[in-house]
Amino acid sequence: MAEPLLVIEHLRVDFPDVVAVNDLSLTLAAGDVCGLIGPNGAGKTTTIRALSGLQEFTRGSVRVAGHDLTREPDELKRRLGFMPDFCPTYDRLTAWEFLEHFARAFSVPDRDRRIDECLQLTWLTDKRNALCGQLSRGMKQRLVLAKTLLPDPQVLLLDEPASGLDPLGRIELRKILLQLHDAGKVVLISSHILSELSGFCNQAAIMERGKLVQSGSIADLGRQMKRRRMAVKWRAEGSPAANILTAAAGLKNLAANALDATFDFEGEANALDELLKTLVLQGVRVCEWRAVGDDLEQIFLQSGAKELM
Amino acid sequence: MNLLENPIFLTHKRLVHRTGVLAPLIIAGLIGLVFLLGLMESQRWAANVTPHETLGKGFYGWIVGLEIVILFLGGFNRIAQTLAEDQKAGLWDSNRLTPLKPADIVAGYWLAPALREFYMAAVLAGIGLIIVLSSGLPFTLWLGTQFLILTTALFFGLVALLLGMTFQRSHTGIILLVFFLFGPISLSAGPGRMMTSYLLPIYGIGQMFGAINPDSNSDWSEPGTFFGLRVPPLLITLALQSIVSLFLWRALVRKTAHPFQTLLLRWEVIAIFATLVLTQHALLWDVWSGKLATVWEAARLKQNYSDRSSFFLPYTQGLTLFIGAALLAFASPQPEQIRVDAMRLGFRNLGGVFSRSALPLALLLTGIATAGLFSQMMFSLAGSLNVFLVASVNLLEVFLTGVLLLDFCRLRHQRRAVGFLVLWLFALSIIPLLLGAIFTSTIPATFSLLAPGFIALGNQTDTDWPLLYKVLVAHGVIDVLLFLGWRQQWHQLLNRAAS
Repeated sequence: MAEPLLVIEHLRVDFPDVVAVNDLSLTLAAGDVCGLIGPNGAGKTTTIRALSGLQEFTRGSVRVAGHDLTREPDELKRRLGFMPDFCPTYDRLTAWEFLEHFARAFSVPDRDRRIDECLQLTWLTDKRNALCGQLSRGMKQRLVLAKTLLPDPQVLLLDEPASGLDPLGRIELRKILLQLHDAGKVVLISSHILSELSGFCNQAAIMERGKLVQSGSIADLGRQMKRRRMAVKWRAEGSPAANILTAAAGLKNLAANALDATFDFEGEANALDELLKTLVLQGVRVCEWRAVGDDLEQIFLQSGAKELM
Repeated sequence: MNLLENPIFLTHKRLVHRTGVLAPLIIAGLIGLVFLLGLMESQRWAANVTPHETLGKGFYGWIVGLEIVILFLGGFNRIAQTLAEDQKAGLWDSNRLTPLKPADIVAGYWLAPALREFYMAAVLAGIGLIIVLSSGLPFTLWLGTQFLILTTALFFGLVALLLGMTFQRSHTGIILLVFFLFGPISLSAGPGRMMTSYLLPIYGIGQMFGAINPDSNSDWSEPGTFFGLRVPPLLITLALQSIVSLFLWRALVRKTAHPFQTLLLRWEVIAIFATLVLTQHALLWDVWSGKLATVWEAARLKQNYSDRSSFFLPYTQGLTLFIGAALLAFASPQPEQIRVDAMRLGFRNLGGVFSRSALPLALLLTGIATAGLFSQMMFSLAGSLNVFLVASVNLLEVFLTGVLLLDFCRLRHQRRAVGFLVLWLFALSIIPLLLGAIFTSTIPATFSLLAPGFIALGNQTDTDWPLLYKVLVAHGVIDVLLFLGWRQQWHQLLNRAAS
């Protein structure tokens, strides 16, 4: 495993009437893109704000590249990039001037070139002279993302980054996150829209009521899943597929039609492989065999967390 | 960091310029020109009646007044509003998360947002210089007044940042309150004797104007006295503003670096309070020279009750209460902060809460204020023991009530704490005064939380001392009840924290 860049241990944040984050521990290594998933009020934003240094925590520790957030906050300012879930911009500055402000603040070398790079990366080159106040929410979101990327931080904390983006913007965001993954950055990205996260997260951390319900690599979590919703399609009518499925153990909520079926499967992943093998060996011409919903959705649904809004 | 490389300063300068500075400059220039033309016309028509210097002083006085309004009110409001808006928009946090030093962030917000007002004042100052020189007034009048205006604007800028950081709105209301509370009282009680006329450079500027024609008004022509020593008012103003500014600067920088800490550390509160309150007593020293009872007795024998010095001590008491209460409110930690400390450090007893609360500070501030009072009567203490005891106990009770009420309302009412605090303070302090006015009786008014000290220090012949002692006992009972309520609320919170 690569060297851990972000280590969170027993993090706890108290609000007057609620424990917003309770005993949260998480370790992410270079290249990890972790989806922080949970319903509204689960503590995602509080966690990200605590990691960025904007929210005081009661207990626990946060280390980024070996530096402690509480003891060496200044060391972390160049290493941590934080993008909030709203878009703080100077409305009467142009996009370029806004980035110039933060490029100066971070003492970014070769400032102009880097600003142009970040504008290009977030598809805002043609908006460089537009006033921030005149940009749409999605564009502001991209501008704040550009600001976050300016100093080339090692760890990025993104709070609901795609919430204001149009479908094209989300696709482009996905590309950027994959680039960051390839560049060995750690990205902790919170969202309650799972489809936003699937496809580029290799880690997931599921929160509910301030607690971390489940965490780990998506592959590992997928293997641990005890129940999954499956869909199967086959070609020829009159095949024995429906009968085989009805007789198979561990299947629930089976809805079989002439050429397809859906069902919930409870059991180990290799038992599901065995079921597919049985279908094929008995002459069923299987043309589609897939889990319904992506892995993240499946993992979330089985995590015990409730009500994803 | 060089200010011209400071991104906060550069950005806010850019924002000020973007909204346009030419029109305000032209307006300031036109207003100044009107005064200049007025001066020229007056010199032509009234030259034989009024000396040029007197005419020049009048017109230059208007320029100074305008500069004060533009810089102290306009600039103050602009700085406080900019900071409050940036905090609300999340830009303050965005800037805080950059590697910029906290001092650079504070400097940027301090100096840039009020640039438009600064430019306007600079134009007026230029025209003021022409008025001063063309009237034959000394150049030092212009230099001294402009210097004081500049230092006071910088001082007010820091106060504006403090308020912008603390409150999201109503900054103008607060500064107007300070102006209308301290300005007229300073003038009526005797400007050379009041600390506020030095902190706001009322006496420094007034004395510069007054010194040109000493016969016109003796209030404004004498230098100030500090423990009986004559000191130029400009020096007292600069010393006071520098000391308070230093502590404000430290507080702002620290709060920027560590937003979860209280605004002022305890020793800073003590230092600011001691500086202001002891300066006030030092300015009054040669009125009684520590023999308050002897001087009062002599005045009674002469039946001289119209002496303005009888206002000095009640005013000092009011000032002490106001400054102490404001500082205690700024230094009082949020209960949530203490609760988090309790959880982190594992204490559950009230001793830990007490030591972290503002209660010990209230006791210390009372001690400082009492020492100041003592200095005025120490050589005739036997004759003024009643006065000293009532005024001191009143200070203690007001500070304790303020701290206990603030904590109690924060614990009990949380987000509605300010409203309930104002309600309680109104009930304890103002309603008795209103009842006194309605029933034209002094007895209900004496029960006001603020009244005993004022009455005791007012040098009245008919002071009802037994009633004052009863009122102090009643206020003491209120403090005990508040303490019990405070203790109960803390018990509940600590038990919740433990669970």
